[in-house]
Amino acid sequence: MAASGGSTTSNTNIPEYEYSDVNTKPFHIGGFRSEWLSRLTPDDYSYQPEEEDTFDANFAKEHGVSAETMAELKSVCSIDSLRCHPEDEQPDPEVVPPNPTLQTLIERKKKQDYKASRKITKNRHDLYANELERLTYGMKPEAVDDILPEGEVILTVNVYYPASYDKFNYVRPHMTLLMTGSHSLAEFRDAICCVSDLQVCGEFSNTPNIAPDFISKDHYKSAFFYFEGVFYNDMRYPECQDISMTTIEWAKSHNFPSYSQAKMEDTRFMDLNVKVGFPYLYCHQGDCEHLVIITDVRLTHKNDCLDKELYPLLTHKHRVATQKCSVCHIFIGRWFTTNDEFAPSHPCLFCDKCFRTLHYNEDGYKLGDFLAYPYVDRGAFN
Amino acid sequence: MIRSKRGETDPYRKQLKSDCESLLGRFQKTESVRFQVFSEIWRESNFTHIFYGAVKHEKRAFSRRVLDLAYSYFLPPLTFQIRVGGLYLLYSLYRCQTASPPEQIRVALKDWDEVKKFEKDAADAQHLDAVYILRQLRFLKAFHFTAMPTLLAYKKKRKTEKSDLSEEFVERASRPQELINGDLLEELSNIHELYEKMKTSVSLPSEKSVNMIHRSFVPQLRGSVLDFHKWQQNKDETDLDEDCGEGTSSQQECSNRAGLIASIKSKAYGEAAEASKSRRHRQVEVDPTSNESGPSNAPGRSRKTKPSFKARTKEKFHFSGDQLKASSSTTMISHLTSLDPVAAENVKYFKRFPSK
Repeated sequence: MAASGGSTTSNTNIPEYEYSDVNTKPFHIGGFRSEWLSRLTPDDYSYQPEEEDTFDANFAKEHGVSAETMAELKSVCSIDSLRCHPEDEQPDPEVVPPNPTLQTLIERKKKQDYKASRKITKNRHDLYANELERLTYGMKPEAVDDILPEGEVILTVNVYYPASYDKFNYVRPHMTLLMTGSHSLAEFRDAICCVSDLQVCGEFSNTPNIAPDFISKDHYKSAFFYFEGVFYNDMRYPECQDISMTTIEWAKSHNFPSYSQAKMEDTRFMDLNVKVGFPYLYCHQGDCEHLVIITDVRLTHKNDCLDKELYPLLTHKHRVATQKCSVCHIFIGRWFTTNDEFAPSHPCLFCDKCFRTLHYNEDGYKLGDFLAYPYVDRGAFN
Repeated sequence: MIRSKRGETDPYRKQLKSDCESLLGRFQKTESVRFQVFSEIWRESNFTHIFYGAVKHEKRAFSRRVLDLAYSYFLPPLTFQIRVGGLYLLYSLYRCQTASPPEQIRVALKDWDEVKKFEKDAADAQHLDAVYILRQLRFLKAFHFTAMPTLLAYKKKRKTEKSDLSEEFVERASRPQELINGDLLEELSNIHELYEKMKTSVSLPSEKSVNMIHRSFVPQLRGSVLDFHKWQQNKDETDLDEDCGEGTSSQQECSNRAGLIASIKSKAYGEAAEASKSRRHRQVEVDPTSNESGPSNAPGRSRKTKPSFKARTKEKFHFSGDQLKASSSTTMISHLTSLDPVAAENVKYFKRFPSK
């Protein structure tokens, strides 16, 4: 539309691809929301379904259509005209119909036949793929105040495994969260569960009962997010330090463009200027770094889970294989020991019960010589 | 939430694309934009079946994919008719999907203005069924108003995909016509006249330095644009004819060249070089049935691919029974050293994706 006079002003609030199908250019979430709301009527994004009669009447009036034409239009465009079989002869939708002509169906049949011949047991990942979503789909709160306001923005964020994991770093998101535009980054941080938060440092063979008091989450409370050149630090607690200062100072000394800082708890998603589909960083515990990608930003819809209390909503959690106790092979390992004369291997993993029965007598005295460390399995959040 | 397995990000992409394009191609041939026509084609091809047979957990992902694909046919630069077809396709797929809860149609902010423009064009042209269907989708709240048409997770592709749009569906470029339209030409000729008048009033007509432009450039411009338009139309018609003619002639040329090369090669390899005196005892033997690609065998092809090593081995060495089985798998050292023939063990199938 260059002929329509003047240079086309690039509206930074309308997301555009930076690299096609990979990520977008940065845009302001709040601005994006206003752009959509200015283009739509409240009916478009309301949760109440419209009355069909009102719809028909409005349409007829707007286009000067008579009642008969209206009725004809309705019947032509109804779903009945798409029915390939009469109502009482519907084929089973769970099975591929015989003699398929569509390429997709031929391919599907081929795949199904191949799968049946392989006799592979069902893939657990696929079976439970949408489990969490199904649980919360379309849930409405009891109190009217708790309902998500219409026209609110929902962001789908993928949080990936920390770089210290060997497998699945780049491909499988560890968890997928749905956030609303009015959530602050601090709330987002609280919703991310990483096992490194639960790690306990220290040797506890002499005092196994006080181990839970020392989880890293309580010790090292600092964390930051990095979005588009701004570090958002968590400053809610007096123990929190600004751990992004090191990076900022290093960058200054190496002629990088300067970065700025802000507070996590004061920034809402609505205020962010971000790219969709572009990886950003979440760092906690000083060195546990996670990639964070915002995969989608959209307006709310009547079929979404409308209960504000349930957000941030977990829609997908990747299940990791856990390591079991070497004695019972039933429970997940909670302790691991080194230099242990009772253990078959070095180091050796035990669940809580087996650990206590093997290493301590009835009065709680330590038997033998060993070193014990609390262990948090990667799949602890399964 | 499309989860990607190794190498299986889009298992039905090609097939879905070909199915949709064949449907839209048939719709294009009818040269109509009526929903009735579209639904007839839909019924004839039993398109609702495209959802059938999907297993429970596949349904949502499949619906998502097919709706995303159909959405791409609704946007410019495709022709108006194809876009109407795309709209009908979206509507039909949305209503007939088997996924529960149903998947919505994602509309990106950047495309909304195009959608509104499309609605206006359809309304102006009195295509009431197209407008009605679009309004119906809004009434049914079938749209998700999103930032981008698909979920983006920074997945970089190894190979850049070729342009996805089928040539027949794309709107033909008409920018020259749009730019040089009737009004513009009129204005240009007016200004041209004024300029000529002013020039003659200011200076003598014989002065050559003032003659900077063509006298009749406005008619020339018009002529060029018309020529371009005519050429565009002719190009489509003659394209089909030209293909048949060219094909046969180039094949002949090819075979002539191949024959020439073949004759040269046969002279080169046919005679083995004579061994030097010191090596007389080891004469080079010319094997008439050598495995080197026999150029005399296929004069028609300019390039004969050598059969693979595996194929050549199979050809040369003949096995029978047990030896055949043994030869096709790798030799196990333990079998070489054992005295008795070892019974074939059942090869355990190693699962590619071990379930944990």
